[in-house]
Amino acid sequence: MNKQDDHHHGVDPNSPEVRTEALEDLLVEKGLIDRGRVDALIERFEHDLGPMIGARLVAKSWLEPQFRKSLLENADRALEEENIKGAEIEHVEVKANEPGVHNVVVCTLCSCYPWALLGLPPSWYKSPEYRSRVVREPRKVLQEMGLSLDAETEIRVWDSSSETRFLVLPERPEGTEQLGLEELAQLVTRDSMIGVAKAKVS
Amino acid sequence: MNSAHRVHDIGGVEGWGAVPYEPDEEVFHYDWERRVFGLMFQVLSETAKRPGEFRHALERLSPEDYFCSDGYYGRWRAAMEVLLDEYGHVAKDELDDLLGVERGTGPGHRVAGVAEVDPQNLPPDRLTPKPNHRTVRRELEEASQFEVGDRVIAVGNNGMGHTRLPEYVRNIPGTVVKLHPAEVLPDSTAHNLGERPQHVVCVAYRAKDLWGQDAEEDVVINVDLYENYLAMETELS
Repeated sequence: MNKQDDHHHGVDPNSPEVRTEALEDLLVEKGLIDRGRVDALIERFEHDLGPMIGARLVAKSWLEPQFRKSLLENADRALEEENIKGAEIEHVEVKANEPGVHNVVVCTLCSCYPWALLGLPPSWYKSPEYRSRVVREPRKVLQEMGLSLDAETEIRVWDSSSETRFLVLPERPEGTEQLGLEELAQLVTRDSMIGVAKAKVS
Repeated sequence: MNSAHRVHDIGGVEGWGAVPYEPDEEVFHYDWERRVFGLMFQVLSETAKRPGEFRHALERLSPEDYFCSDGYYGRWRAAMEVLLDEYGHVAKDELDDLLGVERGTGPGHRVAGVAEVDPQNLPPDRLTPKPNHRTVRRELEEASQFEVGDRVIAVGNNGMGHTRLPEYVRNIPGTVVKLHPAEVLPDSTAHNLGERPQHVVCVAYRAKDLWGQDAEEDVVINVDLYENYLAMETELS
């Protein structure tokens, strides 16, 4: 049996593009999926969600000590009050970096990540290199990734092995006293909220 | 066979090289990755609906599919093909036939079956109030048997069944630093053996206890563990 469609001709049938497209066609044909719903879902996760949600929380916590306190003490309640909900944030813990303490998040068993706060994870976060090594030699891994920490700084690694999801609260960069919420949020990168970079004035 | 043989359980495993880091990279690199991501949710609603079931499908993949050159979304597509076959929606050769490629080469031909789990090795089930929305969190009447500051050791072992106990902390003493909300037990739900909800305990391990005296200084690794994985250190010594 060979029902090869025209658009599958002339390309490697084992390539991920072709195999994925064939699978999608088959699922549509069988009535298992609705292409419009697939499109809508991709749109939502790629554009509506993203690190800007977490970045706003971080910036707000830099400006409002009371908000910072509630975010660190009970992030679930703080997120509810901010009307932030969605996938992969059943229970959230926020871990603050401070002088002498640096936090970094991983999921060694798969790739758990707070989607509703940061969007979808980058490839390196899901790589076996990061997953295997950041629990064994975090100081070295962070240095390789461009973040050198003082030898005296304690590193706290958080392995996302339950449904708890972690967000790192980076330190506010110096020289940003005049900036407002939106400008501060621009300094907060996704990588700084995973803990492999610092928030900095670019 | 213990969990040291699980393909996905790679925390602390040596031999991996530099992290393929790209600062602030895009979440999708190819359009097919987008499609796999979008397809997955509807496929899961027709297949692996129970907590842990999809993760177990990923964990059952052969190493060549788990660490495939197509990366994370290649792994997802492999698990999707496996689940669609196992749930009777798309037979494992159907896609090969459609593409005109040799049969017997898909991930469904290399995957391990769903592991047999003996319910006797799981903690007893208990009734909890039914949540009014879809969640893995549960309210337990009983307090956790552990408190912040307790010295604990994870000993649990679910054979080759699904578990969230990383091998690298097994049999190593650590300190309870926090209690998280209780959750259904994925070791049980993944295998359709009931919710058996557990308190979730955050345990801090010193790097030197995990990796030996040559480990980096001032490093603490915090791991969230379902209460049934744990025993008091004093009970074991």
